[in-house]
Amino acid sequence: MGYEVRGLAKSFGELRVLGGLDLEFPAGRVTVVLGPSGCGKTSLLNILAGLDADYSGEVRGFGPGKASYVFQEDRLMPWMSAMDNVALVLRRFMDRERAVAAAEEALESVGLQGSRGSKPGAMSGGMRRRVALARAFAYPSEVLLLDEPFSSLDLRTRISVMDLFLDLRERDGRSAVVVTHDVREAIYLGSRVATLSDKPAKARDVFDLTLDKADRGFTSRAAASFEARLYESILS
Amino acid sequence: MTPGTRTSRAKADAFLAVAVLAAVWKLGSIAVGAEIILPAPERVLSALARVASADGFVAALSATALRGLASFGVSMALGVSLGFAAGVSDRFRAMLAPVLTVTRATPVLAIILLAMIWFPSGIVPVFSAVVMAFPVAAADVAAGVRSADPRLLDMARSFGVPARDVAARIRLPSAAPHLASAARNAIGLSWKVVVAGEVLSQPAYAVGTGMQNARVMLETAEVFAWAAVGILLCAASDALFDLLSRRLSWATK
Repeated sequence: MGYEVRGLAKSFGELRVLGGLDLEFPAGRVTVVLGPSGCGKTSLLNILAGLDADYSGEVRGFGPGKASYVFQEDRLMPWMSAMDNVALVLRRFMDRERAVAAAEEALESVGLQGSRGSKPGAMSGGMRRRVALARAFAYPSEVLLLDEPFSSLDLRTRISVMDLFLDLRERDGRSAVVVTHDVREAIYLGSRVATLSDKPAKARDVFDLTLDKADRGFTSRAAASFEARLYESILS
Repeated sequence: MTPGTRTSRAKADAFLAVAVLAAVWKLGSIAVGAEIILPAPERVLSALARVASADGFVAALSATALRGLASFGVSMALGVSLGFAAGVSDRFRAMLAPVLTVTRATPVLAIILLAMIWFPSGIVPVFSAVVMAFPVAAADVAAGVRSADPRLLDMARSFGVPARDVAARIRLPSAAPHLASAARNAIGLSWKVVVAGEVLSQPAYAVGTGMQNARVMLETAEVFAWAAVGILLCAASDALFDLLSRRLSWATK
């Protein structure tokens, strides 16, 4: 099933944030939406997640409950264990016992089997991101939405959590939409990168990334030349 | 400064404050020179010993404690359920607001006098305390429920978490620190209004009845002694809630 937005416009009072956005998100791929900070990327994801119904234009394939949202912040309940945080979003699909088993499996898939009883306050930033990823992948959604999900992490942790995301996504095959302002992150994560203009955001260019995983790294020369093309698109 | 040093410093300061208060009281009683108006602290202490060893003291203390706890229980049950509903529903909050405003603005004596017309003397203090305390608890709980992080609520909405889970797993834990403060305010108010209600309605066994009888007999030291009994009840419940709120804040971290 295809996912797309057509003529998507959003304003906050007088301020136009999205100015008639046309974007396609091919099924089974990671589409990165790349744009400057504050250009309306989070507004776009909130609309796709069904959190914001106050917009004009067409949204196809998305809707409330259809997406797993990984927010900019972890958004974990500080009073709940990692396992309960994951199980909470599964409860409407299964009884408690099965939700707990699924949550345990999800935590294991992100390497946190030993921390299922830990509360977020006792975890590092990287671990909390992993819990947020476990929650998103455990939730039986059609599409993953990620809002600058790794930008708060130091480079080493960021690379390891991004690798984890890419592995899980590849195994799972779910469609994903990642929004970011970070060009290198876009190259690292996306199989397709759509660039946005500044406010009111409009789609600029769409790039299909043909680089191998090894060539997407932060030290790769091939990625550097691609980086220049993306910068050109954003800054033009 | 270590936490241990801070605690002992705070205890020393509290002791100093009590000593200063007792000294001022003593000097005041000497200056006034009339025990019927302001008895000396040591006279009140001996009156307290006399009151505590008199027949019926335990029955009076138990009856008042029971009334206080009953008022507290009913106030909290009402306050938590109404406050919770007001926290999650704007419409319910709007409907409840005038009720809370009226009950909070009504003078406590008016409520006690009306209750004396409607109820037997033992019930009057409980009814009056509930009417005074539940709006305070409801307002605290509503504020707590509304203080839930909107970002967590958005997260729950995006994952389609059912409303009952949002209420029990997100809103209620967010309100936990406010629940402790609601309970503390409700019990503090309950003791005060229960004793005031007892003074006027005169149930057979009650701290307030003892206070009123002492006043009629112009035994001012005894009035002070009965007041001290009320203060001790309040202090005991405060200490209990300190303990409880420490546990609650630990549990929600």
